[in-house]
Amino acid sequence: MSRPITRRNFIVWYLAGLLTAVGAAIVAPLLVFIYPPQGQTQTRDVTITLDKAVNDLANTDATKFVSPPETGFVMKDGGGDNAPGKVAFAGYLAKDAAGAVSVFAVNCSHLGCSVAWTPADQLFECPCHGSRFDINGNVVHGPAAYPLSHLEWKQGPSANQIIVTGYTLKGIG
Amino acid sequence: MAIVPHPRQIQVAVVNWLDERFPFTKAVDEAMYQRVPNYANAFYYCFGGMVFILVGLQLLTGIFLAFYYVPDAAGNPAAAYTSVKDVIMNQVYLGWLIRGVHFWSANLLVVMIVLHMARVFWTGSYRAPRELNWMVGVVMLLIILLFSLTGYLLPWDTKAYWATSVTIKIGASAPGLGPLIENLLQGGPTLGPNTLQRFFTIHVFILPALIVLLMYIHFRMIRAQGISEPL
Repeated sequence: MSRPITRRNFIVWYLAGLLTAVGAAIVAPLLVFIYPPQGQTQTRDVTITLDKAVNDLANTDATKFVSPPETGFVMKDGGGDNAPGKVAFAGYLAKDAAGAVSVFAVNCSHLGCSVAWTPADQLFECPCHGSRFDINGNVVHGPAAYPLSHLEWKQGPSANQIIVTGYTLKGIG
Repeated sequence: MAIVPHPRQIQVAVVNWLDERFPFTKAVDEAMYQRVPNYANAFYYCFGGMVFILVGLQLLTGIFLAFYYVPDAAGNPAAAYTSVKDVIMNQVYLGWLIRGVHFWSANLLVVMIVLHMARVFWTGSYRAPRELNWMVGVVMLLIILLFSLTGYLLPWDTKAYWATSVTIKIGASAPGLGPLIENLLQGGPTLGPNTLQRFFTIHVFILPALIVLLMYIHFRMIRAQGISEPL
């Protein structure tokens, strides 16, 4: 039942539209206010001291390290529960049979539990649902469907130090 | 000889003074003196009232807890954790009782809401013209569940942290909007102090205001429509 556009009808709709616009102009910035600011996710270098020098680590071995208080590492890649830019609070420096070094985030790509390096099995094992990864981070056993995430790193000032890309996380740890 | 008034005279004088300025007696009469139909005396018509009493207890004990609770998750151990474990549970007089009542009422609340809704469903009380009140009730159920969800994080112990971690992961798994929801819930790149601040604000400032408003609407609609007749 369409009615002809009268002067009154037009003005009522005009005013209703105006009022809605005013309401939206007040509410929209408040909703943006609630969304957390993204400025605090600037990356920085985090210096880590390992148990042993990178060169002293045997082939087919891995060593764990933890982020210092108020920092977290940034995942470089990753699928499943992991993703580029997500936070990891620990990592593994691993050397494969050929001596190539990789640095992984500790989080399982299934649901983010911390995997543990088991030298006897030569596997990263997840305690939550039994996912397993080889020393190169590839999936050996599900339910994880994606390899372990890598961390951005470089050699630190001394032989047993590495510099890992991370975030400053105020108040955490 | 001093004239000592009878207490009744003082009462009448006070009520008269009030009634001359606002019809209090009339308002109280209208609110309190309603005949309850015989069929509504069955015990299962009381579940809604029990929910009301429990929400009242939650508001009361929640206000008392807020005197000592510190919504600060920074550091280890965090002030939020120690304010619950040490201050409220061990130092404040009857703190353990206030928190215990808050905890058990929260659990019972969900049970009573389920029973109340089952009764309303069973007696068909959701039908016309009361559909709107059913909808208000469902919204209140969701608010109570949000209360439970946000309140669970506040003690900032291991259980709270990992339960909320799971909650946020469920939200983050939503197609498309996942990352936005995750950021909104977490208040930052990871579950931390910002998350506790948010959950605290929602639990203590936003939801109580909403639940009180909706309970008022719920009860006014019951008064307007009367208690539904049995089938």
